[in-house]
Amino acid sequence: MCNLFKSIVVAAALLLLGPCTVTKCMAFGSPPSSETTMHTNNWAVLVCTSRFWFNYRHMANTLSLYRTVKRLGIPDERIILMLADDMACNARNKYPAQVFNNENHRLNLYGDNVEVDYRGYEVTVENFLRVLTGRHENAVPRSKRLLSDEGSHILLYMTGHGGDEFLKFQDSEELQSHDLADAVKQMKEKHRFKELLIMVDTCQAATLFSQLQSPGVLAIGSSMKGENSYSHHLDSDVGVSVVDRFTFYTLAFFERLNMYDNASLSSLFNSYNPTLLMSTAYYRTDLYQQHLEEVPVTNFFGSVMETIHTDSTYKAPSIKSFSRAEIKMPLDQPANDNERRILADSNGQDQISNPKKEEQQGAFRHLWNTINDKVEKIEDVDSFVLYGLLVMLPVLLLPTLLSW
Amino acid sequence: MALPLLLLRPILLLSFLLFAPIINFKAALGSVTEEDFSEELLLRPLPDRKVLAHFHFRSRAPHTSSNGRHHHLFPKAISQLVQKFHVKEMELSFTQGRWNYDRWGGFDPISSNNAKPPGVELWAVFDVPLEHVDDSWKNLTHALSGLFCASVNFLESSTTYSAPEWGYRPAPGSLRYGTLPREAVCTENLTPWLKLLPCRDKAGLSALMDRPSIYKGFYHSQRLRLTSSEFESEEGGSGIVLQQTLTVVVQPDSERNVMSYSHETKLQPSWSLTSIFGRMVTGRCVLAKSSTVYLQLDRGLVGQLDYLQKENELSNADKSVYEGFSSNPGFELSVKPDRVLKELNGFEKKTPSVVYEFYIEKYSESRPFDLGLTWKLPVVWSCQKAPLHASRFLMGSGNERGAIAISLRSTEVSDELLHTDMSEGRCKLEVKVFQVVPWYIKVYFHTVRVYVNEQPQEVSDVVEKMRVSPSVDKVSPGVMEMVLKFPCGMKSAAITLEFDKGFLHIDEYPPDANQGFDIPAAIICFPNFHTSMQFFTDKSVDRSSILSKFQENNAVLAYTEVLLVPLTTPDFSMPYNVITITCTVCALYFGSLLNVLRKRVGEEERSAKSKATKETGRLRQLLSRVSAKLRGRPFELPQPPSNSSSFISSKLILFILVAGIAVFWQVYFG
Repeated sequence: MCNLFKSIVVAAALLLLGPCTVTKCMAFGSPPSSETTMHTNNWAVLVCTSRFWFNYRHMANTLSLYRTVKRLGIPDERIILMLADDMACNARNKYPAQVFNNENHRLNLYGDNVEVDYRGYEVTVENFLRVLTGRHENAVPRSKRLLSDEGSHILLYMTGHGGDEFLKFQDSEELQSHDLADAVKQMKEKHRFKELLIMVDTCQAATLFSQLQSPGVLAIGSSMKGENSYSHHLDSDVGVSVVDRFTFYTLAFFERLNMYDNASLSSLFNSYNPTLLMSTAYYRTDLYQQHLEEVPVTNFFGSVMETIHTDSTYKAPSIKSFSRAEIKMPLDQPANDNERRILADSNGQDQISNPKKEEQQGAFRHLWNTINDKVEKIEDVDSFVLYGLLVMLPVLLLPTLLSW
Repeated sequence: MALPLLLLRPILLLSFLLFAPIINFKAALGSVTEEDFSEELLLRPLPDRKVLAHFHFRSRAPHTSSNGRHHHLFPKAISQLVQKFHVKEMELSFTQGRWNYDRWGGFDPISSNNAKPPGVELWAVFDVPLEHVDDSWKNLTHALSGLFCASVNFLESSTTYSAPEWGYRPAPGSLRYGTLPREAVCTENLTPWLKLLPCRDKAGLSALMDRPSIYKGFYHSQRLRLTSSEFESEEGGSGIVLQQTLTVVVQPDSERNVMSYSHETKLQPSWSLTSIFGRMVTGRCVLAKSSTVYLQLDRGLVGQLDYLQKENELSNADKSVYEGFSSNPGFELSVKPDRVLKELNGFEKKTPSVVYEFYIEKYSESRPFDLGLTWKLPVVWSCQKAPLHASRFLMGSGNERGAIAISLRSTEVSDELLHTDMSEGRCKLEVKVFQVVPWYIKVYFHTVRVYVNEQPQEVSDVVEKMRVSPSVDKVSPGVMEMVLKFPCGMKSAAITLEFDKGFLHIDEYPPDANQGFDIPAAIICFPNFHTSMQFFTDKSVDRSSILSKFQENNAVLAYTEVLLVPLTTPDFSMPYNVITITCTVCALYFGSLLNVLRKRVGEEERSAKSKATKETGRLRQLLSRVSAKLRGRPFELPQPPSNSSSFISSKLILFILVAGIAVFWQVYFG
């Protein structure tokens, strides 16, 4: 049922998008797994590309987003934060170790628990592309890598000074729209993301997306070609503008939300008012197949965590076989979500019954292995469920026999 | 039979309960058999109305051979670092601000151990074969950069680190030293450092670390020092010892001082923990073996207070500061110290330093610890200075060449010290200089000149020992290690070195190249002078990590300033200017040449004539037509008729086309 519905949605999307995109998608041949893999984790890459004190607002933008995604549930180890300069402890900052995005100074964005992964001279186009594509030197620590997989939803936020099809890094190099598109294409081919939301707050941000071709990518820019993105207001205590308009209104939207809200992406997109922004926010949705009304913002700004529930204490061999089965299934049989979930559930049931029998460990493990072998061969669900029930029977019988 | 057994059981149990803590305590006193952690804070008023706060945390883990690789208190990240890179010793410091050696002291353990150059300084000794030391270093820098959210990985490049042989500390071959003078230090570096503590910043003394008040200070240095005997063959070594210190110099600003400013300007500002950090200590970290706060009074300050005491209360003249703090004329403490420690006299003439000890175990949420110091009388004193005051500066101008000068000035204190040494016979003041210079500052080491009392000296007379490794372009920095021996009565000395400024490749310039390039701080060491403070205590020094640190016999050490050298920076408008002016010149030349070559004089004249006859304006045409009518001559059209007809026909075709399209549209879509 779910599958049918999904295929209808996809067909409708294809019809709507017209022949041009269809050929594009076909030419690429989206990997077979991207449709079927579940959304298992969330990552965020937040980049401030501007150096120097007068670009304070760009750092405040990035830190506000950092705070928002942390508040909505993405843990620090899944956020790559790149800040091109040190504003918090800058000699010109009147409020040391504090960064504000509003005149009222009610909220210190820098907090006590900020983790900056790349900072200062490290924020270069090279390092940025390395993070996206995952091509690091061996010595680079895990905290500086984007360790996403094919089930990841990634939020990529960039702010800085830009122009027609480029974004300046540190006032000395540029990231071009081609570079970004190539990096995203490479990420797609390496199965580094399931869905990617690129959000850019810079002048002529829309032009940065013009070369994107990879499916599953959604892009939001603060302004169209030929438009500037403006700062929101100046803080006369700090002495510089503290936030950009696009980010300010994005945050205004998110401040009303908590982790459990179901606000959709289209409601975020509709919240931008061109007269307040003083520019036209641009959305590129042609590469994204789902309806924006049905996609909650927490798909990108919040987090999904995979928790593996085990009743038993840690036991190496049985858990290993369990994880093996778990990993193999999506690769071997590109079954739909439904079937996979059933498999996982029945495995879980077996797992629960496992600790009950301590003395029957050897026999049970043998049984378990045979089941595992069977699971890998089985095509239809019904017979599998039958097998599962059959396994359950002796397990239920044994304690009753023992209690007599 | 059963009854006595039943009676015996509780007695046995009771005795076991009684003795168990004693057994545990004995185990703790001996060499490290289990992990422990201690937290301490030292406060010290400084002569220039500031306060020094020095946090000291020590974690110890026993040898892995005896304890395995699991840890209860010791940070796992650090022990993994030690295991993986075979680190024997390591020190990493993050500093902002410059330690004021004149005012804050240059002759005590804190200034020698905790005064660090701005930015990041890292040195490490590895226990690996010499050919693998560089690899270990590079991997270590990456690991530390991930651990502490800093760009320590820039020290990976061979142009940034050096291998001193004896100039820094004696560990030939396996020691690497590198600094990043411009590295920013902020909250993101402190937080992971705090996460290494068992209580983080949630409980105990580390709860005082309010980020804004720390970074508001004049100087803050966060340091991590690691010593491990993991890879030594004999067992029962000390295992891994991790010392984390945070040294802050802050200016207390209490309202009372502002009010009394008009009539009592000399009075030092009174302070308390709440006025410095905005927080109080609400109890110890329960995982800490000991949790202590010390208040240290300088030798100079104690001397002044003693003097005041004698002046004020002649009757109680025999009572000294360390005996009765309550009757102290100079200041008042808000909390009664648990113990007062007095320094064992190191120097005959000097008054001893005094330390007040406060145990945090007694305090809790309901009864927080907030130490305050209120000055009652204006006191002026000075800290003990290093034997020589070292400073470094640049000479010369322009973008081509310059010179580095290190100037050493004798301080008053050193005179007294030197007189005591004089008795030994030949009096020489030994100074060790260690300096690393990046490759683009091409130092000519043969140009070393030494001046003593502003008189040039033969280099061989003063320089006892010197090791130089010249820089290699884009490969390694220049390193200079020197031992100098000066005569004792010397007032001032200077060492100068000339250099040429190099050129970087256009890609190697940082984004803010206009700001200039840094030369890391030079290290000046006085191997004959030691910073050791022996305190008169019963065996409790073993417990206290700060006091045992004070007892260590370290040489006096000072860092010079970081130098900022302006280099020639690429001016990107220059090539642009060149290109535009060249293009303009070319265009002008070729344009005019083409014009001259293509121009035909006869044709030109003829066209000019026809132009003169040709009427351009419609009004003129009309006028001429009217005049022709008046004169009775037939009017000749200026344009040839064929030309106009073709024009009309093309217009007609266009019209027909448009009409056709319109009709087509109407028929099919209308």
